[in-house]
Amino acid sequence: MTHPGSAPRADGPEPQDTRRDDPSPARPVLAITGLDVHYGLRRRRRKVLHDVTLSVAPGETVGIVGETGSGKSTLARAVLGLVRASAGTVTVAGEDVTGHSEAKWRRLRRRGTVQYVFQDPLRSLDPDLTVADSLAEPLLLRGVPRGEALARIRPLLERVRLPGELLDRLPGEISGGQRQRVAVARALVTEPELVILDEPVSALDSANRVQVLQILKELRTTGVAIVLISHDLGSVAGIADRIAVLYRGELVETGTARDVIRRPRHPYTRLLVSSAPTLHTAPADRAERAALRAALTT
Amino acid sequence: MLRRVLSLPAGRIAVAILTVVALLAVLGPVLAPHDPLATSARTLAPGSGTHPLGTDYLGRDVLSRLLAGSRVSVLGSLEVALTALVVGVVPGILSVYLGRAFEWVTLRVVDTLVALPFLLFAVAVIALLGNGITQAMLVTGVLVSPLFYRVSRAATLTVARSQYVEAALIAGASVGWVVRRHVWVKVLPPIAVALAQTIGVGFVIVSSLTFLGIGVQPPEPTWGGLLASDLGYLSYQPWAPVAPALLIMATVWACNLLADAIRDVSGEAGRALVAHRRLRAGRRGRTEPAPTGGAS
Repeated sequence: MTHPGSAPRADGPEPQDTRRDDPSPARPVLAITGLDVHYGLRRRRRKVLHDVTLSVAPGETVGIVGETGSGKSTLARAVLGLVRASAGTVTVAGEDVTGHSEAKWRRLRRRGTVQYVFQDPLRSLDPDLTVADSLAEPLLLRGVPRGEALARIRPLLERVRLPGELLDRLPGEISGGQRQRVAVARALVTEPELVILDEPVSALDSANRVQVLQILKELRTTGVAIVLISHDLGSVAGIADRIAVLYRGELVETGTARDVIRRPRHPYTRLLVSSAPTLHTAPADRAERAALRAALTT
Repeated sequence: MLRRVLSLPAGRIAVAILTVVALLAVLGPVLAPHDPLATSARTLAPGSGTHPLGTDYLGRDVLSRLLAGSRVSVLGSLEVALTALVVGVVPGILSVYLGRAFEWVTLRVVDTLVALPFLLFAVAVIALLGNGITQAMLVTGVLVSPLFYRVSRAATLTVARSQYVEAALIAGASVGWVVRRHVWVKVLPPIAVALAQTIGVGFVIVSSLTFLGIGVQPPEPTWGGLLASDLGYLSYQPWAPVAPALLIMATVWACNLLADAIRDVSGEAGRALVAHRRLRAGRRGRTEPAPTGGAS
C-alpha cells in the first residue's frame, strides 16, 4: 500500500483504476490561457506566473505541484480573482473573468461555482464563529434563510465524516483534522463545480491525511472538478487524473498522473519524483538527484 | 460579552458600582432629601439625621448636592467617551477599507489632533460654541478620539489581513458583511476597554473642570464643585471632601476594573472561558442521572 504522504516511485504500485488518461472533452470548468501575473510596481515589479495554460474538465482532478515560491498559490488566487492577471485569460464555468470588476466577482463568488480550501484551517475559520456559523456563511451570503442554511449543512457533516455535535463548537475546540474537514465541508456547501485545495493535507497527520484524501476521492465521483495544490507529489499522485508541474512560475510539464510519475520529462519533475520519500529510499539515487539539481541551477 | 464580564468577580463589582452611579444620575435629583440650592443657618454642620453628610459653608445639604451633581459628572464623562467613539472608531475601521486617500487624510487628521495643544484648542472651540460643560467635554472627546482611531484601526488591520476574512470574500462577502460579521466582534473588545477607561478619564476631567469652576456656574452642584467648596473649610470640617472624593474615586476605579474585566474575557481568553464553561456543563450533564421513560 502506498503511504498517502509518500510519492509512488516510477516502479511503484499502479495508479488507481478510477483515474482517466483522457480528460473529458466537455466544456472545461476552468480554462487558463497564457496567464501572466506580476507582483510589485515599477522597479519592484517581478513576474510570478508566466504563460500558464491549463484547463480542468468537469469531474477532473488536476494536481498542481511545485516547490515553495513556484507560484502555485498565486495561480489559485488568480483563478479566484484575488490577484489581477497581467496578461492572458481565465475562464470559469464558461465565463471569462479576466477583466471582472469587484462587483462582478462578488456576484460570481456568491454563486459558489468555485470554492477554495486554505492550507491552514485554523486561520481560515473565524475563531469566534461556531462550526455551524462558518459552514452556513456561504449560504447566508447567497440569501438563504438561516434555518434553511443550518438544515443544509447537516448532511454535509456526514459527508466529511464529522459528528453533528461539532456544529456548536468553536474552531479552537476541535482537532486539526476535524478543522480541515470543516473547511472542506464549507467549500462544498454551495455545491461548486470546481474546488481548489491549497495543500489540504500538508498540516495533517497520516490518519487525517488518509481521511481527507478519501473524502476528495469520493467528491470526484460526484462530478466536482478538483484542483489540488501541493508541494508533495505523493499527496497528489494518489488522487489526480492529471498533474501539472509548476517551476519558477512556469508550467514545465503537464500530463496524466501516470505519465508524469513514470516518465517525467523535465529535469525538475524528475527531481521531484526522485526526491519523493518512500519507505525504501535508495541511497544510490542521491547522485542522480544531485545531478538533476545541478542541471536545474545551470 | 456582558455575561462573560459578569462571570468575573471584578466585572460584577465594576458593573454594580457603575449601575449605582448611573441610577444616581437618573434618580439623584429625585432622591435628594433637600433642595440642593437651599441655604440655611446651619453652616458646616456635621452629619445628622436631617443632613446625613452634613452641610456646607452656606448651610446646603451635602448629600442632596452630591446626588443632584451626579448627572453632570455622568453625562459629561459619557459625552467625552461617545464623542471619542464616534469621531475615532468609525474612521478607524473605514480607513482600512475605503482606499488610500481616505486612509492618508484620516491619519494626518489624527496626527494633527495628537499634536494640538489642548488648552488652545479648547479655548478656540469654547470661543466658537460658547462656555459650558457640554462644549468642554466635546473638545475633550475630540482630543481623545485618536486613541480610539488607532485602537480600532490596528484591530481592523489585523482582522482584515486574516485568512478567514479572505475566505469570506471568496464566498462573496461585501465589505459591510465582513465588518459586521468578522471585524466588529474582534474590534469591539479593545474598543470596549478603551471606552471604559475613557469614561473613567472623563469623570476625572469633568471633576477637574468643575473643581476649577469651568463649565458649570455656581451654585449648580457638581462633584468637583463640592470638592472645591469643601477644601476651603478643611480646618473646620476635615472630613467634608471625603464623600465627593470617594464617589469620584470609586467611579473611576470601577471604570478601570470594568476595562480590565473586558480585556480578560475577550479574545483568546474569552474563548477559553466559553470552552471551560461548556466543559463544566458537559460534566454536570454526565453526572446527572439519566432520565427514565418519557417521550424520546
